Amino acid sequence: MSAKARTRRNNALIDILLFLICFVLLTPLILLVANGFKTPAEMLVWPPTLFPKDPTLENFQKVFTETPLLRWIFNSLMFALLSTIAIVATSALAGYIIGKFPFRTINIIFVLFLTTAIIPFEVYMIPLYFQVKALGALNSIGGLLIGYLVMSFGIFLIRQNVIASIPDELLEAARIDGAGEFWIFWRVVLPLLKGPLAALAVLAFFQAWTTFAWPIIVLTRKTSFTIEVGLANFQSAYTVELSLLSAASAAVMVPSVLAFVLLRRHFVEGITASGMKE
Amino acid sequence: MATVEIKELRKSFGDVEALHGISFAISDGVFVALVGPSGCGKSTILRLIAGLEEITSGEVHIGDKVINEVEPKNRNIAMVFQNYALYPHLTVAQNMGFSLRLLKKSKPEIESAVQHAAEILGIDQLLDRLPKQLSGGQRQRVAMGRAIVRQPEVFLFDEPLSNLDAKLRVQMRAELKALHRRLGTTTIYVTHDQIEAMTMADIVVVMRDGNIEQVGAPLELYDSPVNQFVAGFIGSPAMNFFPVTTTQGSDEFVFSDGQSFSLPAHRELEGSYTIGLRPEHIRQGKGLQVEIEASEQTGSETLLQARLADQEMTILLRERFTAAPGEIHEFSVDPSMAKLFDTKSGARVGV
Ligand SMILES: Nc1ncnc2c1ncn2[C@@H]1O[C@H](COP(=O)(O)OP(=O)(O)O)[C@@H](O)[C@H]1O
Ligand SMILES: [Mg+2]
Repeated sequence: MSAKARTRRNNALIDILLFLICFVLLTPLILLVANGFKTPAEMLVWPPTLFPKDPTLENFQKVFTETPLLRWIFNSLMFALLSTIAIVATSALAGYIIGKFPFRTINIIFVLFLTTAIIPFEVYMIPLYFQVKALGALNSIGGLLIGYLVMSFGIFLIRQNVIASIPDELLEAARIDGAGEFWIFWRVVLPLLKGPLAALAVLAFFQAWTTFAWPIIVLTRKTSFTIEVGLANFQSAYTVELSLLSAASAAVMVPSVLAFVLLRRHFVEGITASGMKE
Repeated sequence: MATVEIKELRKSFGDVEALHGISFAISDGVFVALVGPSGCGKSTILRLIAGLEEITSGEVHIGDKVINEVEPKNRNIAMVFQNYALYPHLTVAQNMGFSLRLLKKSKPEIESAVQHAAEILGIDQLLDRLPKQLSGGQRQRVAMGRAIVRQPEVFLFDEPLSNLDAKLRVQMRAELKALHRRLGTTTIYVTHDQIEAMTMADIVVVMRDGNIEQVGAPLELYDSPVNQFVAGFIGSPAMNFFPVTTTQGSDEFVFSDGQSFSLPAHRELEGSYTIGLRPEHIRQGKGLQVEIEASEQTGSETLLQARLADQEMTILLRERFTAAPGEIHEFSVDPSMAKLFDTKSGARVGV
């Protein structure tokens, strides 16, 4: 067998392997979407059918009429967007200051920021809950946002990027050119951080979008639920409304998939960033 | 355009003093080069003049104003950095017009200033490009263009050519010089390359370890260096130094191997000295016995690596010369060309 033929065979094998892995990964998702269109009877058939024999929209109708699903999506969206904006803003500002104005006190503060990254949120979740409660912010997006305004990893990420990609001379040239410090931040630093900030935005958005523990303790009123909490609500202590849950989940996937497709590039950047490339 | 004067300028970083009281004055329109080995404080002086660092003590005057406390943007200077410091996200035209935009100049005004500067530098066809789409030499020109557009009173250059290849460096040297002749703006140019300083500057300031060693016109430094450091730093290939001893009343200066060199002008001296002989002042002829180690012929001249009194030396002959390694040849130097230095202080004797 020639070297060329061997490479071709190897590539074919790799393709088949990857295809199988994709199939295994995608099957649950396909099943989930399919289940949304199944009748309760077909739902329990074994082995499960990959494509519903008798597709119905009843589950979706029921989900949208019996639960405030759209409201939950809206809540999640607002929460995730506001959290993203806050995290991007705080990380850009703090990361730049820590990266370019390294006074001793600032470095100490930076180390404190970093230590918050190794304390799991669950550890201070309960005390935070009591504070939010005291503030009367339960069941509100404001209460939800506390704890999602600053991301220590984001500050770290931006600081590293500032140090690696913004030379001091650039800022000095701008100062000589007559720019004020705010102008420099806005017109020179921010444009140069577009890439990492976009990656951070994607990370922050999906962190908020998928978070569960904090919303479920802060949100008790059905209309203030986020998606994650709402979906969990289909599973009561005694029953699981499988067809409704499937339909709701399938409906909820739409914005996620949409966002992913739109932000695909930044998503990959965000993942590589969190794996720390340098 | 303006004069620049520096008085007793000191700068400390923490406990370390980088500049130990530097003073010099630059007349209006003069091209001054600050030259010295890496780490001697050249950039620090420039950054103090630009206002990018806090002055520890001393004064900086531009024109008739003390500008110690003036913001960088109000000092009426423009600086070109070694790495060019172009804004990566802005086009060439936007880079060059940045300072004018901050001065709230009108759009047509900015455009015509940028166009004018770009034409002077021959980069008018690059105005829409981003810095990353330019070669090193083109970036260098844009950085200069950004400085020109402001029409500052003083240009500050910090090793602007050191990132370019040798050929381009020579070309840019000439262009910068021509630019200075055309604009007549007072210029302070920092470099560690003495050839750059010698070829471009009207006045050269030689520095070492945060002190000024000598200030003078290029040939003045070459012909009458005040000390061994300046003598060794200026000139290429570098001056050869040998320890010699002499006794009072004798004009013979004796090398460590017993050979001697006659300096009639220094009859009265006594003790140990260092004699300096420039490679290009050494000629074939009766005098010192030198062992040849290697020779390089370039056609127009011959560069010899040799040994005298157990010490490496370089000889530059204007003529062709063939010698095999290990051969002994005789060379002489016009005594008026030899320089004598105090061994301890390094100061030149007889100036
Ligand atoms: N920001 C700084 N902090 C501490 N030391 C510095 C700083 N900038 C320069 N120095 C020190 O000052 C001395 C002069 O530096 P510099 O002016 O950059 O030298 P040059 O430009 O002649 O190579 C060096 O010893 C350098 O280490
Ligand atoms: Mg320097």
